[in-house]
Amino acid sequence: MRKWSRRLRRIAIGVLDLPQDVVIEVPRVTMIGHLQMYIENHRGVLQFTEHELRLLLTNGQLLVKGDKLVIRAILKEEVLLEGRISGVTFIQNA
Amino acid sequence: MRNVVKEWSEGHVTVTVRGKRFERLINLAVREGLTIWNITRKEPDLGQCEMMIADFHRLRPLLKETGCRVHVENRNGLPFLLLRMRARAGFVMGIFLFLIGLYMLSTFVWQIEVQGTQNIPPQTVLRAAGKAGLQAGSWKWRMDNPQVLQQRIKLDIPKASYVAVEIIGTKAIIQVVEKVEGEKPIIQDSKHIVAKKKAVIHSIFAETGKTMVKVDQYVEPGQVLISGIIGNDQRQALVPANGKVEGEVWYRSEVIVPLIQNRLVYTGEKQKRHYLLAGSNVLRIWPFETITYKHEKKTEKRYQPSFFDFSLPIGWKMEIDRELEPQIVRMTEQEAIEVAKRFARKDILKQAGEDAKIKEEKVLHVKQENGKVYISIYYSVIENIAMDQPIIPQVPKQEAGQSNQNN
Repeated sequence: MRKWSRRLRRIAIGVLDLPQDVVIEVPRVTMIGHLQMYIENHRGVLQFTEHELRLLLTNGQLLVKGDKLVIRAILKEEVLLEGRISGVTFIQNA
Repeated sequence: MRNVVKEWSEGHVTVTVRGKRFERLINLAVREGLTIWNITRKEPDLGQCEMMIADFHRLRPLLKETGCRVHVENRNGLPFLLLRMRARAGFVMGIFLFLIGLYMLSTFVWQIEVQGTQNIPPQTVLRAAGKAGLQAGSWKWRMDNPQVLQQRIKLDIPKASYVAVEIIGTKAIIQVVEKVEGEKPIIQDSKHIVAKKKAVIHSIFAETGKTMVKVDQYVEPGQVLISGIIGNDQRQALVPANGKVEGEVWYRSEVIVPLIQNRLVYTGEKQKRHYLLAGSNVLRIWPFETITYKHEKKTEKRYQPSFFDFSLPIGWKMEIDRELEPQIVRMTEQEAIEVAKRFARKDILKQAGEDAKIKEEKVLHVKQENGKVYISIYYSVIENIAMDQPIIPQVPKQEAGQSNQNN
């Protein structure tokens, strides 16, 4: 049933030309240089220090590394992060 | 995403959170719909964030759940400001009293300016304004409006034809337009017109008064030409006589003209000199060597930049020297007579007045002696011979004061 639903969504993306983040639950990340990062569609904060932010996604994790990280604002599905960002890593669940 | 105005007006706090499960706290808070921002992690078990006051109270059950402790670091916004103001009530009262005082003081008139007066003294205007209720220190609310004021001030100053009152802040401006007095007719004393010189009347025209002489009549100085007494024996009246009398007057002028004359004539040689002026010092710049002429005529030009009353102490002077040369000029007798006539005419016209006309010119006598020509010329000139004479002779205050050009 779940597999079938996923296949239907992929078809919808291809046929209707819809943006992927709307249809399949992946995050939309907007970055302004290395200074600011705006992440939509997250599922909660896993770990937050000055050098690292680990966010839970529907299907894995998002790891942001940097320096002097500050969460300027946080909502249920959105995070605005500021600081000196040095790396973004996606960790996919198998 | 953030509403700064709302944050300030409702008040927000900066809190530090001590505890191991900081991330869990944030997730729970977000899920509950709390607004938190500026989240930082300072140490592994110490975080900091900001939140609204209302949300701070909703945080308490979540803290219990995660086992964290909060400590308020900073309070910001209007509610806290009001609290602090309550503690300093006297200070706040002072601010408001000051503002009220400033406003109250601005409802008075502190300064009155009178504009446009030339003959009326400003004190008179100020006094009239004071009577109407406008003076330094009067309260604007108790005062009538400017239209009424200017009406009253105008009634108080008969010499003013218009008064405008304008109040700008604490300053009242009274603009006065003065009445322009009509020209008073000059009252003339009754007078005669008499002859100034010995003459034969050439033309006589009386505007007022009675003509006493006829054309071609010989008159002596002081003889009445136009009488100021009019009427017959029964009824008489005195008037200021006025009119125009022209008479033929004779002059004889003697002129001596030397036949050999020494004159200075330009040779055409000249020299330009440039000087620099600094204060009262003069410094020649060009030329290095100057030529001095035996006879010369100097002309000078100065350039000194000036701005209104201030002039720069530095300037420039240019001098031109023109060389002159003595020359002997010989004249014939005929030329000498011409020169004599020219001088004599100028002299006669000076004696006779500007509007005089030379009627006749006759050379009476020419004599040559010792290199000089003696010439006597006779002139008959038509000129104005009228002169005023007051009729009341007891106090001749202003004999010729009133000329006959009044009308």
